[in-house]
Amino acid sequence: MDLSQYSLFSLTARRLDYLTQRQTVLAQNVANADTPGYQPHDLEPFERILAGQNHGGATMVATHAQHFSGPQGRGAGFGESEMAGPYEVSPTGNAVVLEQQMLAVGETAMQHQLTSELYRQHMSMLRLAITGRR
Amino acid sequence: MDLMDSMWISAAGMRAQGTRMRVVAENLANAHSTGETAGDLPYRRQVVHFRNVFDQELGGDRVEIAGIETDPGQFPRRYQPGHPSADAEGYVLYPNVSTLVEMMDMREAQRSFEANLNVIQSSRSMIRETIQLLRA
Repeated sequence: MDLSQYSLFSLTARRLDYLTQRQTVLAQNVANADTPGYQPHDLEPFERILAGQNHGGATMVATHAQHFSGPQGRGAGFGESEMAGPYEVSPTGNAVVLEQQMLAVGETAMQHQLTSELYRQHMSMLRLAITGRR
Repeated sequence: MDLMDSMWISAAGMRAQGTRMRVVAENLANAHSTGETAGDLPYRRQVVHFRNVFDQELGGDRVEIAGIETDPGQFPRRYQPGHPSADAEGYVLYPNVSTLVEMMDMREAQRSFEANLNVIQSSRSMIRETIQLLRA
């Protein structure tokens, strides 16, 4: 039984993957909150990633075992880019606003909780269907 | 695991803020360290510089102390003829440390440290939730 063929499970896995990577990007922003000239980064909204799953589909073909398969960095599949519209930029050129980042971190944690709860519920539904008891 | 990476990045941030705190402490402790004899220069204020480095292992931007430099600002002069390091006119050079500026710097370091701690806590709760999935 391959759980990933159930659309909800594959969606959950993708969502958790996305949230994990977003957390890493936000951690980078917060860690560099006092680095001169640092621009905060963020991932593309998840809805947009889902909507355009095959946008920008030009990927390089690997015809040799030693070929690289394009961008491999963190957040490569989730459109990491500079955060749009930072609240303010400090005189040193640093655009990280801790409040904004904390908000995003809280949002990510909440969505992670929601997604794992969804996974658990779906799992218990499956178990109910298989065993007939909760 | 990616969430562990984000915790490492935050830990590096906390470490950098800790160093900054140490420098602030040094400045504050030496806010009145004048020279010993006439002509001696007093303590010079130190400043921390941050920079972001790309960590190959983590695959992300980590923060690092780029260097601790001295503040080239002018030393304030105070008239204290009885002081051992007073010059011929009776003026003593004092360190270019402003306690108010240091306090502000300290607060900022504290806030940044807390923000990093927050991210660590949030990453940890995400890891915990993922582990909890096994128990479902």
